[in-house]
Amino acid sequence: MKARKLRVPLLAAASLILVAVAAVVILTAVRSPGSAHPAAGSAGPAGSEPNPADSFKSVRSYAEVPAPVRIRIPAMHIDSKLINLGLRSDGSVAVPPRTDIAGWYDGGPRPGQPGPAVILGHVDSKDGPGIFIDLHAMKAGTLIQVERADGSSVTFAITKVQKVSKTKFPTDLVYAPTLDPTLRLVTCGGSFDPAKGSYRDNVIAFAVET
Amino acid sequence: MPKHGGSPRIWRWLCAGLVAALPIGTAVALHQPDSSRALGTLHDDSAVFLPAAPQNTAADQAVRLQALLGQHSALAADLMRSRIRGDDDFVQAANAALNKNTDDMSALVGQLFGAGAAKVFSPMWSQHIVGLVSYAGALADHNDSERKTSKAELLEYENKLADFFSGGSKGRLSQADAREAVHEHVDHLTGQADAYVDKDYATADKLYRQGFQHTYALGLALANALLPQADVAVLQQPIWRLRSQLGELLAEHAVLIEDTTRAAAGNTPDFTAAADEMNANTQDLSAAIGTLFSASAGKQFQGMWASHVEALVAYGAAAAARNQDRQQAAKARLVTFEGQMSAFLGGATAHKLTDAQYAAALRDHDQMLMQHADAYAAKDYVKAHDIGYDTYNHMFDLARTLADAFGESVAEKLPQGGAQTGYGGEAGLVATW
Repeated sequence: MKARKLRVPLLAAASLILVAVAAVVILTAVRSPGSAHPAAGSAGPAGSEPNPADSFKSVRSYAEVPAPVRIRIPAMHIDSKLINLGLRSDGSVAVPPRTDIAGWYDGGPRPGQPGPAVILGHVDSKDGPGIFIDLHAMKAGTLIQVERADGSSVTFAITKVQKVSKTKFPTDLVYAPTLDPTLRLVTCGGSFDPAKGSYRDNVIAFAVET
Repeated sequence: MPKHGGSPRIWRWLCAGLVAALPIGTAVALHQPDSSRALGTLHDDSAVFLPAAPQNTAADQAVRLQALLGQHSALAADLMRSRIRGDDDFVQAANAALNKNTDDMSALVGQLFGAGAAKVFSPMWSQHIVGLVSYAGALADHNDSERKTSKAELLEYENKLADFFSGGSKGRLSQADAREAVHEHVDHLTGQADAYVDKDYATADKLYRQGFQHTYALGLALANALLPQADVAVLQQPIWRLRSQLGELLAEHAVLIEDTTRAAAGNTPDFTAAADEMNANTQDLSAAIGTLFSASAGKQFQGMWASHVEALVAYGAAAAARNQDRQQAAKARLVTFEGQMSAFLGGATAHKLTDAQYAAALRDHDQMLMQHADAYAAKDYVKAHDIGYDTYNHMFDLARTLADAFGESVAEKLPQGGAQTGYGGEAGLVATW
């Protein structure tokens, strides 16, 4: 018992000595001459030297991604110009007036810009196949190249292809605002409704920038 | 005789002591929404409140983990740099802030993955921080042998951390991928320290920003690997992606504007490098606004945001020069910015929040950053770090509010229903589903 009572104050004293020694070592070291960085992070001598902050100008040039003008999908033998698409009066997305060209929804991001860019094309018409007739068969990894107005291009790779009912179209997954630079290709598929003259489903290919 | 600082082992002992002095759960409570600290309440002349977002779901906590990891990266780099400078006052303040972040993170790990996980995580994480400071100490001492030893020890700690994460993922995160991710984190921090000691501030600050972005992404990767699949699915929903991404951009703004105004208020040689990274963040943030609303909105936003950044830097430089007239002029520019930006945000979000609410939140942000610059100019590093910590949390919370308002506003304008992209009826003949 006596030994235990004695050891506690001894340990405490030893700890205090250690702290004091460490403090002396640290303070001595901090005040030692020859520091390579006398003031790189802490405040230097105020007003004694010119301050580059006095002439600082923030960047004001907005880096706009050029508009898409052409789409190439070698696996689908596609090399088509792109037209701009907006909204119809009923709030649905407009579609290309012809079946042999694709269109980019210009109310959303441009391909390569943060966010989901959307390109639409017809699967067919009464006259025959459309530009996206083979979209449903594309596998993960299929490459899509989009050429832009300044001659630059951006490449995407398909991650998955889904068929969805038009009545349950996943607007949020296709158009909703995230900042991931992605691409969606949209066409029709599934069963055909002769009464309406249109397909009941949409086929959507989801792609990410490579 | 070492040129800077004492023995690396003494520093290691000091850091271990400071880390041990703040046990989990007894130091700083995890940041929680609290009406007394809600956004828009720092100034006395306003009773404007922004709605506090719920923060109790796993997805909320995962996004918070991202923010804390990003903050860790910035604070660890700050601590390493102060160790290299041999600036003891700064070291103490930076270390305290980093310990606060570690406590917050350990508490959050406990909430997300269980108390047992937190108990294992916390000492591992602390060892990792001690290793980083040892590395910086070896750089300060120009002791290459000790630097290599520290790096080897760091990688050993990192491997233990990686194995802990990988083990908890039940096969979703391989040991190799986990180790690669944490090694990259260490490489960012040691790389920025290497460049800093060589006075290559451009490289140092580039790695500072990359390190922040990497750890932010690491937080999401860990959440995806460790959370139940149902929670992971929630994190992949567009609104959660936007909350995470906007949170990162605005939290990065807070980190970089603090670094830039610190350099301005101290008139230090790394100012230009810090400002360059600040500018890169401004461009990314403006691009995000361009994606959400339009290119013209992005341009308009960038013009206002640039004025905001310039005014804060000007305030810091005026504080360094102890020129009150210039400080007042910078303050006036900030008031103009707050009015213009709040009107812009109100318009962009169809006034889902009032202009007054936006203005109050922006005013709080600006006031904290001015106090932050004043504290640096006065060499009150404890106060500067305290304000810096709160500024970061405030910005992250504001990002959540903005992401929700932006997401809702943009959703109202999206195309409705499916696309009419077929009329022939032949597709069904070739497509089998």
